[in-house]
Amino acid sequence: MGSAEKRSDLSERAASPAFECRLVTVEFLHKFSRKRIIEDISFLVRSGEFLTIVGPSGTGKTTLLRTMGGLTPAASGSVLVHGKKLEGPPEDVVIVFQDYSNALLQWRTVAANVAFGIERNLDRKEIEQRVHDALNLVGLEKNAEDYPWQLSGGMQQRVQIARALALRPAVMLMDEPFAALDAMTKASMQDELLRVRDRTGTSFVFITHDIEEAVYLGDRIAVLKGSPGRIEQIFDIGLPAPRDQLSTRQLPKFLEYRYAVHQAIGRGHG
Amino acid sequence: MRSTGPWQQYFKLSVAALPSARGLLPLVVLLGVWQLLQTDKSPYFPPPSDWWNGLMLLSKSGRLYPALSATTMTLLLGLVLAIAVGTGVGLFVGVFPRLRRAIGPLLEFLRAIPPPAIVPVAILFLGYDERMKLTVVVLAAIWPILLNTSSAAERVHPLLLDVARSFRLSAVDRMRLIILPSVVPAILLGIRVALPVAIVVTLLVEILTSIEGIGALMIGAQRNFQSPQVYGLLVLIGLFGLLVNSIFAVFEAILLRRWPPKTQSENF
Amino acid sequence: MDKRRLIARINWPGTAVLAFIGLAWEAAVRSGLLDYEYLPAPSVIAVGWGELARQGILGPDIAHTLISVAIGWAAAMVLGISLGFLLGLSATARRYSLASIEVLRPMPGVAFAPVGLLLFGFSLKTEMVVTILPVLWPVLVNTMGGVTGVHQRLHDVGRTFRLGRRDTILRIILPAAMPPIVVGARISLGLALVLAVVAEMVGNPEGLGYGIVREQQALRPDLMFAYIVTVGLIGIVLNAGMLALAEALLPSFRQLRGDP
Repeated sequence: MGSAEKRSDLSERAASPAFECRLVTVEFLHKFSRKRIIEDISFLVRSGEFLTIVGPSGTGKTTLLRTMGGLTPAASGSVLVHGKKLEGPPEDVVIVFQDYSNALLQWRTVAANVAFGIERNLDRKEIEQRVHDALNLVGLEKNAEDYPWQLSGGMQQRVQIARALALRPAVMLMDEPFAALDAMTKASMQDELLRVRDRTGTSFVFITHDIEEAVYLGDRIAVLKGSPGRIEQIFDIGLPAPRDQLSTRQLPKFLEYRYAVHQAIGRGHG
Repeated sequence: MRSTGPWQQYFKLSVAALPSARGLLPLVVLLGVWQLLQTDKSPYFPPPSDWWNGLMLLSKSGRLYPALSATTMTLLLGLVLAIAVGTGVGLFVGVFPRLRRAIGPLLEFLRAIPPPAIVPVAILFLGYDERMKLTVVVLAAIWPILLNTSSAAERVHPLLLDVARSFRLSAVDRMRLIILPSVVPAILLGIRVALPVAIVVTLLVEILTSIEGIGALMIGAQRNFQSPQVYGLLVLIGLFGLLVNSIFAVFEAILLRRWPPKTQSENF
Repeated sequence: MDKRRLIARINWPGTAVLAFIGLAWEAAVRSGLLDYEYLPAPSVIAVGWGELARQGILGPDIAHTLISVAIGWAAAMVLGISLGFLLGLSATARRYSLASIEVLRPMPGVAFAPVGLLLFGFSLKTEMVVTILPVLWPVLVNTMGGVTGVHQRLHDVGRTFRLGRRDTILRIILPAAMPPIVVGARISLGLALVLAVVAEMVGNPEGLGYGIVREQQALRPDLMFAYIVTVGLIGIVLNAGMLALAEALLPSFRQLRGDP
C-alpha cells in the first residue's frame, strides 16, 4: 500500500478497507500461563459494509472486537484501520458495549452523555447540532434532559448508540448490543441500525450469538469457532435491501443462510 | 415555566421523608412528667423550665454565643479541610491500587485506634490551643472520607475505564469526568460518617481542656454545680447535632438527585 | 488451610511497609533525626508497655475498661433487641416513637459526661451514662430494620403452616432477622469500647482512658502510646471475636464479613 500514502486522506479512506486484520492473535497472561484467545484472524471490512460476527460463547468474539477497538493489544499479527497500523484506540472507530448501564455516565443527562465524545473537540453550536442530530437518529429527542437510569434498557442502549453516532465515526464496533433486550425492542433496534447505516454510510462490525440476527443484519457473516477462536468461514449475504422483519425472514434464501451458518458453527444454537 | 420550581419540590420531598411528628410523644411525655415531678427543685434533676432559665442566664452573661460560634467554626473548618485532603488523598490512593495494597495494613492499624484516643496525643504535641483542636478534628474526620473515597475510586466500573480509553481521554480528563463523579456518592457517605466523629472529638477536646466552646461551658457548669445549665446545654447540643445532620441530609439529597436511587447511602 | 494458600494470602507488601515504618521510626529517633521531646521510639513504647504490665497497673486498667464495655454492651443488647422487636412488629409503636429516636440518635455520648459527673461523681455509673445511649442505637435500629425487613413471603409461609404468633416470631422472624442484628451487635461492641475510653478520659478516672490522659499529663509519652496501642489491640480482638462468633452462629451468612 505504498502509493496510498501519497493520496489525500479522503480518497485513501474510500479506497482502503475500513478494517483489515492480518493474522491477528491475542493472548492473555494469567499468573504464569499464556492462554490463546483468538488465533490467526484475517479478514477485511469494506467501507459502508455491515459485517456480523457469530460464534458460540467463549470463542473470543468480544476479545476480537476489543482488539479492533484498540483496547486489547494483539500478541502477533496486525490490525489496520484505513491502511494504517493500529496503536491504541483509533480516531474514527467507536465501540458500543453490551452492558449499556455501566458504559453510560449515569450522573449525566442523556444529552450530556451523547456529547461526551465530542465536547472537548468542538465548539458549542456544533456540539448542540450533533447531539440533536444523533438523538433524532435514534428517536430520543424527547428524552434529552432525562437521566439514563430513568430510561428502559432499550432506550439506554440507544443513548449509547447516539453517543457513538455523534462522533460521525467511520466504523462502529458493536458487542452484542441487543442481547439484553426483549424480542420486540430488539427487532425495532435492528431496523433502526440499518436505517442509520443507510443514512450515514458508516461501516459496522456487529457481534452476536443470534444467528438470525446475524443473517438479517449482515452484508457478510464471519463465523468464529473453536478455542482458541479462529475464523471458520465467511459468508456473503445476498439478501435484498431494504430488509424487512417479516418478509425478509421468510425468504427461502434467508433460511438457507441460516442453515449454512448453523452448520458452520457445528452446534445446536438458537 | 413550571409553577413549582425545584426548591419547592425539594422542600416537599424533605418534609415527606420525615417520620411522623407523633413520634415525638415519648420525649414530650418524658419532659412533661419530669417537669411535673420536680416541683421541689431537686439539684440533681432540675425541671426543664429551669434548663431554659439556665441557658438564658448564660446567654445574658455573654458566654453562650461565643462558645457556640467557637464550636461551630471548629467543626466547619475541620470538616472542610478533612473533605479537601481526604478526597484528594483518597483519589490518589484509589487510582494506584498497588499503593493501596502496600499501605493497607498501616491504614487498618491506624483505623483501629479510636479518634478520641488521639486527643491526648495532640494535646501533648501541640499544646492547649485552637490549632491543636482544629488539627485533631481534621485527623479524626479524615479517615472515613479518605477510606470511602479510595475504596470507591478503586471500584470504578472497568467498563467506564474502557470507555475512557476508547474515547482517548487524558489522565486528567479521566479523573475529572469519570472517576471523580463516580465517587461522589461514596464521598458523601464518608462525610456522613465523619460528621458525628467530628462533633464528638470537638466536644471532647473542649471538655478535656476547657478551650472555648460548648463543651467547655458544659464542664464549667458541672464543676460549679449549675445543673440546670448542664441539662440545658445538653439539649442545645442535641438540637445542634440534629440541625447539622438535617442540613447535611438536604445537601446530600440535592447533590445525589442525578444518581440512581440505589446509590444513596444505606445505613450500616 | 493449605500452607501455600495461607502464605499467598498474607499481604506481603503491606506487612513489609509496616515493618519498614516501624524500623525507620526506631532508627530515626535513635539517631537523633526525629528529636521531639514527646515522640519516643517504638522500642521505648514497648518497654513502657512491659513496665506497666509488670507493675500490675495495666492489668486492672484493662479489666476495668472491659467490665465497662461488657455492662454497657449487654444492657444495650437487652434493651435494643427487645425494643427493636417491639418496634419492628408494631407499626403503631413505630409511628409513636421513630421521631424521638431520630432526635436522640445524633446525641454525642461525650456530652453526657458532665451529666454523669453531676449525678454520680467519679464512678462506673458515670461511664454507663455516657455509654448507654449511643451504644443502644445500632442494636435497636438494626433489630427493628431486620424485623420489618422480613419478606412478606416468609410471613405467608407462617400463615400457610398455621403458626401462632409466638411460633412465627421464634421460628421465622428471629432467624431471618439475625444477620442485621449480629451486624448491629458488632458495631455496638466497637462503639462501647470507644465510649468507655471516652468516659474514662473525662468522667471516671479509671481504666485505659484515664491511663492515656494521666500519662499525657505526667509527660510520659511512652506510657501514653502504650495505653493507646492497648486500646487499639483490644478493639481488634473484640471485633475479630465478634466476627468469629457471628460466623459460628450463622455459617450461611458470609456477607457479615463486610465492614459497616
